[in-house]
Amino acid sequence: MSALPSAPRAAGTGRAEPLLGVEHLSKSYGTTRAVVDVSLSVAPGEIVGLLGPNGAGKSTTMRAILGLLRPEVGSVRVLGHDVASEGIAAKREIGYVPESPSLYEFLTGAEYLDFVSDLYGIDAATRTERIHQFLAGLELLGHEDSLISGYSQGMKQKVALISALLHHPRLLILDEPLNGLDPRAARVVKDLLRNLASSDGVGVLFSTHVLEIAEVICDRIVILSRGQVVAAGTVSALRERSGLAGSGLEEVFLALTGTGDLTDVVSALRR
Amino acid sequence: MDLHRVRRLGWVLVASQVRSGARSANPKGFLNQPGIFAWAAVGLLVGVFLLASLALDALTLPRALLGSVVVAAVPFLPLLAVATVLVGGVMFELTATVRFAGSDAANWLPLRPEEYVLASSLAVAYTYCLPLALLLGAFAAIAVHVGAGALIALSGVLSAVGLLEGAFLVEMVRSTSQRAGSTSGARGRVALVLRALALVIMIIALQLVFNPVFLFASLRGLATFGQFTAYLPPFWGTFAVLAWSSGNVAVAAAFALLAAAFAGLLLCAATVLRVRYWSVTAEEFRLEPHRYAAGHPLLRALGLSPAEAAIVTKDFHGYVRRREMLPLLVLPIVLLVIVFIENATSSAGFGTFGIVVFTAWATSFFALLLATTSVGQERKAITAVLASPVPAASLFRAKLVASVAPAWVASVVIAVLVGLLFHVGLGVVLGLMLTSVVAGFVVALWGLAFAARYSDFQERPRPQYLRPGPMLAATGSGILLVFVVVVPATVALLSTGTAALEGAGFAAAVALTVVALTWGWARQGFEALFREVPF
Repeated sequence: MSALPSAPRAAGTGRAEPLLGVEHLSKSYGTTRAVVDVSLSVAPGEIVGLLGPNGAGKSTTMRAILGLLRPEVGSVRVLGHDVASEGIAAKREIGYVPESPSLYEFLTGAEYLDFVSDLYGIDAATRTERIHQFLAGLELLGHEDSLISGYSQGMKQKVALISALLHHPRLLILDEPLNGLDPRAARVVKDLLRNLASSDGVGVLFSTHVLEIAEVICDRIVILSRGQVVAAGTVSALRERSGLAGSGLEEVFLALTGTGDLTDVVSALRR
Repeated sequence: MDLHRVRRLGWVLVASQVRSGARSANPKGFLNQPGIFAWAAVGLLVGVFLLASLALDALTLPRALLGSVVVAAVPFLPLLAVATVLVGGVMFELTATVRFAGSDAANWLPLRPEEYVLASSLAVAYTYCLPLALLLGAFAAIAVHVGAGALIALSGVLSAVGLLEGAFLVEMVRSTSQRAGSTSGARGRVALVLRALALVIMIIALQLVFNPVFLFASLRGLATFGQFTAYLPPFWGTFAVLAWSSGNVAVAAAFALLAAAFAGLLLCAATVLRVRYWSVTAEEFRLEPHRYAAGHPLLRALGLSPAEAAIVTKDFHGYVRRREMLPLLVLPIVLLVIVFIENATSSAGFGTFGIVVFTAWATSFFALLLATTSVGQERKAITAVLASPVPAASLFRAKLVASVAPAWVASVVIAVLVGLLFHVGLGVVLGLMLTSVVAGFVVALWGLAFAARYSDFQERPRPQYLRPGPMLAATGSGILLVFVVVVPATVALLSTGTAALEGAGFAAAVALTVVALTWGWARQGFEALFREVPF
């Protein structure tokens, strides 16, 4: 396997100044309050897991961080740039993988990655080298000249991941990034994220429903439920807070989101 | 064949069509029910019948005249039914995204191919029943008025058969076009081009053959070519009604039976083709190795940034590689070909003025179509652009170039063709080019202003790039705008002295004013798009 490329080490990244600062974010869709007074931060080199049941507001929060949504209240700062007023500068620093990424399926994988390189202003030599390394590392070499419409879900997810990493982002916003990946690719991505965070100071905000993954790779967890932050901290801190010391993150998550007792549900489904 | 399963699947396919455009969150709403077509058809049939009956009573037209109208028009309703479904089907059903047409599940559900083909055909025929209901309502009123109720009843039944024939033909084309291009053994770009060409030729051919202009021409010639057309199965329904109208019941019955048998044969053929050619998974197209480079050099030379050039190049790829874009692209060609042929075959013709106006209109309309669909055709993949450090102004510029450039190329090519085919002077050819280019630019800006604000990014069975209301508004006002620029410009082109100056001045003033007003409006739309993703 080819080694995946890493980001160039960011100068002066200290843990004091957060890469991402979200303050009192609120967003509604009509009468539905999707996100209510959410505050969170990601420090350099930190991997923060954003967990929550379906419809908890994870994707909305991430889209607001990207400036894809305009919050009614609150602010988002990325490396000191206010996303509302300095969106372009902020986006330059972010790598984003949306939930179920939609790609231009009439392009080949190589054409798509070339297209994204142009959007981020990556020079020809750099993009050629990095794309080749990523394609090799994620076992897409040999498929890059096929139309994306013929790719499997996992292959599309790999292309989306590569496109988020090409421009050496300082902050990664990843919405369910391991969806559809085979075990090897999932392992590669997890190791890469760990490596980017620890060696290069890249900050990662990472949403997933696979709690085992969150438990293994995240430094801190933020749990959203019904649009609000119901708990935040390290896994051990969350265990203590939920009174479930010694339990897995799954039990902690279910307890904190109020979905703990599933016995009746399972019994009903068995009938 | 399990007819219950056919009925259930047909219901699902119609629901997929009905609810695809629904903005209401309530799937149980009356307007979101598959039965809405039946209610609308009955409403149209009865409503138009009653209105027409009242009008006939009030007008007291000569009975002989009404009788001749019935004999001239009613027999052709079955043929018109085939044409409607076939033309509409090829334009819209064929380009539907399978994943979102509710038909993908049929690939793994325990359904027999003939069950799927019948259900899908019934669904297609059902959704195209409204124009027929309208015509039947109107002609039924006249037919009943002159005592030809049986004739319209027979025509109605055979028109329903015609709808099915058209739907079965659409299914046949749907299955075969699934692998068009690759079945020839071609690979890579060649296969893609072949697929696009096959679809374009099919669309143009069907549009031309079943176009009202040609249908009417064939109707005029039916008396002359009757012997020949009697061998063409789509005409059998029409011949049955014609025979009935002349009192030849036995021949009418024979042709009616033949029409029904032909429909059955088409069902069998469509089933065989589905089994033979339908591909469950998306076909893999492998292209030549890609060379990574920053932006297309030609587009960069025009002053576009690498990001803008990349968006334009991506859109150009989309035009030729996406099945759902092809009907849009061939529409102006069809319009032009019809005009050219009509002009060449009719005794009066359009004259130079008509040809210049219509040619400039068609190429400008092309620019309008590309512009109005340019943002919505991105679908949710636009997230990649909106999340990247590309300013709104760049997307606006890229979309303007992607809309205007193909229309400008078409303008130049078509102006040269006009010069060659109609022997107009070089001055007129150059003037036509300039007029088309200016009108295309103006109306593309106009279309982009709508596209930035009202695009529809949802994947739907029938592709819809702009919400229906704004689409109507943009198209209606855009067409008007083209005429306001093109007509005085053509007057200037074909006149001398003061009239030429006045025409040119007026056209230029309108074009400049619209550009000045629309430029900012369109740009603001793109900035709004970047502030809040509308999905």
